[in-house]
Amino acid sequence: MKNNWEPKIVAFLCHWCSYAGADLAGISRIQYPPNIRVIRVPCSGAVNPLYILKALREGADGVLVSGCHPGDCHYLSGNYFARRKFFILHELLQWVGIEKDRVQFSWVSASEGQKFSQVVEETVEKVKKLGPAKKLVKEFTFHV
Amino acid sequence: MFEKEIRRKSEELLETKTVDMVIGYTSGSLPFQARPVLISSPEDTEQLVWNHFSSPNLARYLLPYRDSSKKIALLAKGCDARAVMVLIQEKQFPRERVHIIGLPCPGMISKTKLEKELGEIKEEDFSFEKDTFLWQGKKWEIFPFLEDTCSRCRYPNPPLYDELIGEKRELWGSSSTDYLEKINGQSEEERWQFWEEELSRCIRCYACRNACPLCYCKECFAESDLPRWVSGVPTLSDNLFFHLGRSMHLAGRCVECGACERACPEEIKIGLLPLKVEMIIKDNFSFEAGLSLEEDAPLLTYRETDPGEFIK
Ligand code: SF4
Ligand code: SF4
Ligand code: SF4
Repeated sequence: MKNNWEPKIVAFLCHWCSYAGADLAGISRIQYPPNIRVIRVPCSGAVNPLYILKALREGADGVLVSGCHPGDCHYLSGNYFARRKFFILHELLQWVGIEKDRVQFSWVSASEGQKFSQVVEETVEKVKKLGPAKKLVKEFTFHV
Repeated sequence: MFEKEIRRKSEELLETKTVDMVIGYTSGSLPFQARPVLISSPEDTEQLVWNHFSSPNLARYLLPYRDSSKKIALLAKGCDARAVMVLIQEKQFPRERVHIIGLPCPGMISKTKLEKELGEIKEEDFSFEKDTFLWQGKKWEIFPFLEDTCSRCRYPNPPLYDELIGEKRELWGSSSTDYLEKINGQSEEERWQFWEEELSRCIRCYACRNACPLCYCKECFAESDLPRWVSGVPTLSDNLFFHLGRSMHLAGRCVECGACERACPEEIKIGLLPLKVEMIIKDNFSFEAGLSLEEDAPLLTYRETDPGEFIK
């Protein structure tokens, strides 16, 4: 591993809470590591487990999925459905020997700019410890 | 083994036009094999067989008749009946068009295991009794020769049927060599090694998916062009992607029949992945697929008290 290696982390943020939380961190000039590549989704419940696998396949070193706190979902219960899916996927990934911290989850509300920055810091820290991802990364490129 | 009763019942159902077709088993083209057969005339019911090799999950064969008006009788072991229940619940087949002939399962035997232990074998030298068989003048226990899925079977008796042929049976004792338990106890590195070794052999023929009664999508994500999730090339990473994706699709739906694993030409322990997902769901969301027509599938519902400690 090169000393100056920096992990690439794909972050799926829900439009109503976590994305707004990231925005707040931005306008409040709260610093956080620039390793994340944000993909805005309507709801954490809209994050298909295949998106997470796909991000890892395309070479992300880590994935962060963040949504509204339980009870605060804009669509009332999307994040509760998401929690079940993510729990299963997380356990399954570990069971095939993929590092637990490659895929991380958080609840960040629109008013938690500070928490957003902490979550990103912690996520990056944990992925850095693991080093570059290898296990699900595609072995060649194809063109659609 | 109730073969006569099954034939007689099927004949009667066809003769009285209670059903238009019977889906059952007939002798395979190779020894120690039974294959699915669709029978529509009463005289053909003589072809039906029922033995320790009647393993294919017949629920799969209902699917082409989903949009027909045919009424179908289906022979169903525990796992076939569970698969039918999932299909009914998912509105893939109407309850009133399937007549389930429930068969308490005697346990399906693996030909590979027989050959490994006994060497060269001929079908006519075997005579099967309850839980044992006679071969070369000696009595053998069936249990060590069962298919992996059958040796860990928790529901040999069909949970849903219109009539039952045979006597309900008890569970087998537990198997100490079960891979599921073995992998549960391993370290991350060992687990990776196991799956790397298994999945590098995968040639992505999709036989596992095609044998599965619950993989009925018109277009599978593995072969979709837009979006294109994986390539068709059987690299380790894309094999893993396919099997993880498939296991997630089977979450709360897999009935542990092992049809996927038996279909695999590479003898990959592929049924373990959807099975593990089922165990995660059973332990955390107290749900098992194909046991009730009323209970919501686990991913279509939630509880506020679901595990959440893994989320920051
Ligand atoms: S049947 Fe076996 S080789 Fe074929 S795709 Fe499934 S796991 Fe791979
Ligand atoms: S995934 Fe395998 S064990 Fe589960 S229902 Fe499908 S074929 Fe049966
Ligand atoms: S793997 Fe998924 S998409 Fe493919 S047939 Fe099975 S359930 Fe459908």
